[in-house]
Amino acid sequence: MTFSLYGIFLSIFWLPSLVRSDTVTYDFDVGWVYANPDGAANRPTIGINGKWPIPPIVVTKGDQLVVNVKNSLGNESTSLHFHGLYQNGTTHMDGPVSVTQCNIAPGGSFKYNFTVDQPGTYWYHSHVRGQYPDGLRGPFIVKDPDSPHKDLYDEEIVLTFSDWYHDLMNGLLASFVNIANPSGAEPVPNSALVNDTQNLGIKIEPGKTYLFRMINIGAFAAQYVWFEDHTMQIVEVDGIYTEPKDAEMLYLTAAQRYSVLITAKNSTNANFAFVGSMDQDLFDVVPDGLNANVTGWLVYDDTKDKPAPKEIAAFEPFDDFELVPQDKEGLYDKVDQSITLDLKMDNLGDGANYAFFNDVTYVHPKVPTLYTVLSTGENATNPIIYGSNTNQFMLSENQVVEIVLNNNDPGKHPFHLHGHAFQVVHRSEDEVGAYSANSSIISAFPKSPMRRDTILVRPNGNIVLRFRSDNPGVWLFHCHIEWHVASGLVATMIESPLSIQKQLFGKIPQDHLDACTLSKTPTAGNAAGNTQNLLDLSGENKSPPPIPAGFEARGIVALVFSCVAAFVGMAVIVWYGMAPMKA
Amino acid sequence: MSNVFAVPVFFICFRECLETSIIVSVLLAFLKQTLGPESDAVVRKKLIRQVWVGVALGVLISLIICAGVIGTFYTAGRNSFESAEYIWEGVLAIVASVIITLMGAALLRVNKMQDKWRVKIAKVMEARDTSSLPFSGRLKRWTEKYAMFFLPFITVLREGIEAVLFIAGVGVGLPATAFPLAVICGIGAGALVGFALYKGANRATLQIFLIASTCFLYLIAAGLLSKGVRNLELDAWVKIAGEGAVEAGSGPGSYDIRKTVWHVTIADDAGSSGGWSVFRSIFGWQHSATYGSVISYNVYWLAVIVGFLVMGYREKTGRYPLQKAKPVTGDYQSESSNGHGTQTTDEKHQGSASGVREVPA
Repeated sequence: MTFSLYGIFLSIFWLPSLVRSDTVTYDFDVGWVYANPDGAANRPTIGINGKWPIPPIVVTKGDQLVVNVKNSLGNESTSLHFHGLYQNGTTHMDGPVSVTQCNIAPGGSFKYNFTVDQPGTYWYHSHVRGQYPDGLRGPFIVKDPDSPHKDLYDEEIVLTFSDWYHDLMNGLLASFVNIANPSGAEPVPNSALVNDTQNLGIKIEPGKTYLFRMINIGAFAAQYVWFEDHTMQIVEVDGIYTEPKDAEMLYLTAAQRYSVLITAKNSTNANFAFVGSMDQDLFDVVPDGLNANVTGWLVYDDTKDKPAPKEIAAFEPFDDFELVPQDKEGLYDKVDQSITLDLKMDNLGDGANYAFFNDVTYVHPKVPTLYTVLSTGENATNPIIYGSNTNQFMLSENQVVEIVLNNNDPGKHPFHLHGHAFQVVHRSEDEVGAYSANSSIISAFPKSPMRRDTILVRPNGNIVLRFRSDNPGVWLFHCHIEWHVASGLVATMIESPLSIQKQLFGKIPQDHLDACTLSKTPTAGNAAGNTQNLLDLSGENKSPPPIPAGFEARGIVALVFSCVAAFVGMAVIVWYGMAPMKA
Repeated sequence: MSNVFAVPVFFICFRECLETSIIVSVLLAFLKQTLGPESDAVVRKKLIRQVWVGVALGVLISLIICAGVIGTFYTAGRNSFESAEYIWEGVLAIVASVIITLMGAALLRVNKMQDKWRVKIAKVMEARDTSSLPFSGRLKRWTEKYAMFFLPFITVLREGIEAVLFIAGVGVGLPATAFPLAVICGIGAGALVGFALYKGANRATLQIFLIASTCFLYLIAAGLLSKGVRNLELDAWVKIAGEGAVEAGSGPGSYDIRKTVWHVTIADDAGSSGGWSVFRSIFGWQHSATYGSVISYNVYWLAVIVGFLVMGYREKTGRYPLQKAKPVTGDYQSESSNGHGTQTTDEKHQGSASGVREVPA
């Protein structure tokens, strides 16, 4: 039995309300360790300071956070992204490589330094292509002395849910984006974890109320989560306080978070199972013997047995669309800029399967997009300079921006926007097709839409998201299935580029620039690294060409040859057949 | 179209039925000749009936075998082939292509086909004449008595089984509904041409008809070979790409892009119903062509061209190209120059075959 490490950790760090802000510093030496969390495979795993699971980052709202990262992996570059944090004024601390920073190459160091001015449940993870499922992902908790719910619970417990692979991501990625996988079938996880272990016991005291901060830190699988005989009361979603809502079962896509209140029973007669169950709809082929579930227990009495979870008839999760933010922020009903993203999966000329927004699959630029913003002066407002494979959108300052996403794919996708929480004004059911703004749909928009930073779009359905562009920066909008990030399901929102220049021109810290030197990444110019003619993108990173449609030159030649051969052949047959046939 | 009419199946049935008709016509002519009007009308009638019964029974049994093979394939067999379906289809298509190619040329020398059967039948008859030895067993006597039944029965059965095998080769992958009409039409056309031959129809017309048929037959065979190669390649691709290749239907991922020469998707919707399927059946058209399928198609035609040129050259000169001209010996004459080459090489059967030789064709 493993007791909640995070729970213990958090109770140590639990500090009563503090008004002054502190500087919290973490020194993270990122390196390989061995780990075997599901007892089925001991594998190299990315740990911090020689340990895995990696430590949670815990700060109090208003704190200055400093994370000193040293890359001791030896064979891989890395970075850290702090998922859900707005990074207002510090877009260069957001973490995605080739977007707001360069790779932290092996041996390199990098300092993340920013103020955390938002409460709630977040997480941090590597934002280098496909890396975090190798282990580099953990909780990021922001305490709030002014929480509207602070009087409703006695203790808090962090629960992370995750899928887990026995193979390293590099190999899996190579076989995923591959001509031998034309359908783009995502590798299926080998098991599910809770708090990076299985069969977790959580000590519960009768009568107390607990705040469970639940985070899906997985690579791919969404998880259904339920506590037997205990009702969850949702009070926070992705860092946004909500009006309390009861739920029997939650559905957490990769990267989503919920805080729920659970009141313990008054007796210690029994222990109760809780289950995280991976959504197998996501899996192309469910391998024989896959255990999609991970079980834990609310342990009221150590001496009593821990019952196996009961079978359930159906998955009936709570619909997060019903949530109402506690601040009751009204619907942004006047849209200044609307962006439509049509999602599809298709194959390119190398035979592999890629993911597309509006027929463009994301390929990272040579120069991190933020550095292009900072090095191109007035041209920074020209979308062309950011390259032809970055799916860039220029957002003007302080506008209401709407993203309409049409999922032309039979899969479920959790979409995440960096730098913002968005209002979810509409989400269709399955198989509805593209969004059409008719009056019945518009009149059904909630008055105070739920806000969060990661939202599920249903198979062949659509979502409509709105937010105010009040946070200058370069923000990715992407599917949080790590496989789909690798296959290009990413867009770049370049918000108020001239304001970014005002905030950050000449202020990129030297260690950030050193990282670029070490990883041999140019830090100026357009997406291709051209500093003279910014419209000249020659040499930029591009996706493979599309599969040629129909006939190319070789096809025409082949067809002509075949026709000629057939006609000559038949002529010879006629010649032979016409030879006098005597009776 | 290929859902209701399998063109290759039609041609195979046509070819086999034509051969059968020739056998029957040769036999009937033989009876007419040897038994003459002076012989017993009852005996003649009886023998003619034997021929027809033999033919009918042979056709019937081959049809039953055919139905059985195809039925088994489309019910039980289909699944067991599934895993190796592409290999199975590919190998059968290639084998069928080779066989069609080898037997197709005979259509252009239909007179030779007649001659061949005349000689064969004559041989059988001769054997019967000389074998009436005292100790012949009862079985032998019985078969002798019904020779006019067994001869057509066995030959028809043989042609029929041959046809079944070819059809199986050509027809794998076609829906079961594509067979009946094609088989009936093929048999009908073959019988018609056979009847025309028997009745001594206009040779020139027949010749044009047969040439046209042969051209189609070779087009089909070329397409089959190319399809066979493509199927073998597909099998290799499915081994690489697994489930994904199957899921992809005809879209990207259903084929190995590295080996592709062209891939058109415009015709997918029309796929099995539109004019494309005519192209597919007759010309071996494929929406997705590979280096292997294109090269095999062209090499096939090259081989056919060379083959016919060599045969034509030999018929004209009596020797192969690059071979030194041989002095004409007693037992060897150019086969086609007189159209009776086979007979002259079978000089020793002349006596018994003489009646056959004079049959008006």
